[in-house]
Amino acid sequence: MKIVVAYKWAPNPQDATVGSAGTVDWSRAKPGISEYDPVAAELARRLADATGGEVIGLTAGAKRVDVTLARKAALSRGLDRAVIVADDSLEGAGTTELAMVLAAAVRHIGDVDLVITGDSSVDVGGKMVPTVLAGALGWPAVSEVSAVTGEAGSVRVERAIAGGTQVLQISGPAVLAASTDAAVPRVPGMRDILAAGKKPVETVTVADLNVPATGPTVTVTGTSRPDLKARKGEMIDTKDPTAAAAELVTALRGAGVL
Amino acid sequence: MSVNTWIVVAGDPAIGNLIETARSLGGEVAAAVVGPRAVADTVAAGGVDKVVWFGEPGDVPVEAYATAVADAISAAPGVLLCAGGPGDRVLLGAAAARLRAPVLTGGSSIAAEGDGVVVTRSVFGGIAVETVAVTGPVALVLDGGPVPAAAGSAPVEEVAAVPLGMTVIETRPSAFEQIDLGAATRVVGIGRGLKTQQDLALIEALAGASNAEVACSRPLAEGLDWLGKDRYIGVSGQHISPELYFAIGISGQLQHMVGVRGATTIVAINSDAGAPVFKDADYGLVGDLYQIVPALTAALK
Repeated sequence: MKIVVAYKWAPNPQDATVGSAGTVDWSRAKPGISEYDPVAAELARRLADATGGEVIGLTAGAKRVDVTLARKAALSRGLDRAVIVADDSLEGAGTTELAMVLAAAVRHIGDVDLVITGDSSVDVGGKMVPTVLAGALGWPAVSEVSAVTGEAGSVRVERAIAGGTQVLQISGPAVLAASTDAAVPRVPGMRDILAAGKKPVETVTVADLNVPATGPTVTVTGTSRPDLKARKGEMIDTKDPTAAAAELVTALRGAGVL
Repeated sequence: MSVNTWIVVAGDPAIGNLIETARSLGGEVAAAVVGPRAVADTVAAGGVDKVVWFGEPGDVPVEAYATAVADAISAAPGVLLCAGGPGDRVLLGAAAARLRAPVLTGGSSIAAEGDGVVVTRSVFGGIAVETVAVTGPVALVLDGGPVPAAAGSAPVEEVAAVPLGMTVIETRPSAFEQIDLGAATRVVGIGRGLKTQQDLALIEALAGASNAEVACSRPLAEGLDWLGKDRYIGVSGQHISPELYFAIGISGQLQHMVGVRGATTIVAINSDAGAPVFKDADYGLVGDLYQIVPALTAALK
């Protein structure tokens, strides 16, 4: 089975700073493999090991997604090789543009049986790239996937639904977004990281791929900080837990929320 | 100016907000509905102008209709709206791919302006807000809102669809009882500060004494499996606005706190005085939850 793991090299918004006008400063936020993507890589690796086949990492972004650190971080997590679309025209690319490029790259790789992604990206977190990617390829998309078994062209997929689990039989290629706890990802050791440096990487640009023309443009006309409720920030001394509890209950009753 | 809208529905007719939003844009409001006929009828009665329905799905999952929905929408493109369910997103994504329409998530308001729309949305996990203008087809994920009240009777047009090759072969109920956290006025949230699953009894006792529901941070529902996934609060979990929220043994990372921003009052209990949760709290108690929670439960009785 030929499995593509679409991953993202991105910073965590937790480490970004937001200016008074809502502008996001990423300079102190170091990029990394997006939070849930190692789960996708692990799920793909186990499936490939069970069925025979290869796992190909795929990412797209500005040229900085193709630095050595990023390559090793991805390839040390169970991937056999990687295809990286590194092109500065993708700086700030939106969901649809990125998904169209990934779809073109999947076609470029050829004969792909499954694309597996993480639950959502650490920075944007929209849970939409896998669905647009599937739409562009004309393949089924399923999210919240907790298990995959089967063979090329015929897979059985378990996915979480409201109130339970559903088992699906899928014929033909598909895009699967793994649930955050679908597999416990391996922690790469020194050997994995050294081996990662020797794995093949194909770097391509958008011009190398057959990417359709982009659609309407999105123009940012303004930014702001989120309108947050002001919090009281009252600290209650807990030296005596019973007294602290009584003080809190009085305060909450006074505030009318108990 | 007016803008025509498609509302994309994957089996769940809780789209009251989407209908209201679409109506405010002034143009025709069509709905592409995948799922049983009853869902199409609920949507048709909810105040849209027409419904395109793809037939009884039987054992075919909603996602299998993605191509059919994209076909129907591409015949008359406009602004596309969906609620945030997993199936909704798949159908919307397929339509967006067909139209090359940009996708915007986290939208809080949308208005028609000139030939296009202006959207205000939360970005990067809620750290900032941006306003954007788009002319031409655009796909938006918004809060669906409640099931619309019966307000009309739009025609339902049945379209013969060839679904993608996928079938449901088994459905297993969750071991956890399902709850609607959004309806709770008080919520007790617990995080990694809890040492064992058995200790949930302490939290349940506090919830009982304060007439609250129990919720959690992500690791307790996904990974540890101590609580059901519908009790997980956070950026990709539940977003709730209770009157009172207890964050207990929760460090208060952005990914969690974004889910309780709407709470009227937040109480934080954590042994780490430097935990970020205290910056977002109305009342903070630094200490051992194993001492404070039982004392609080006793004080409430």
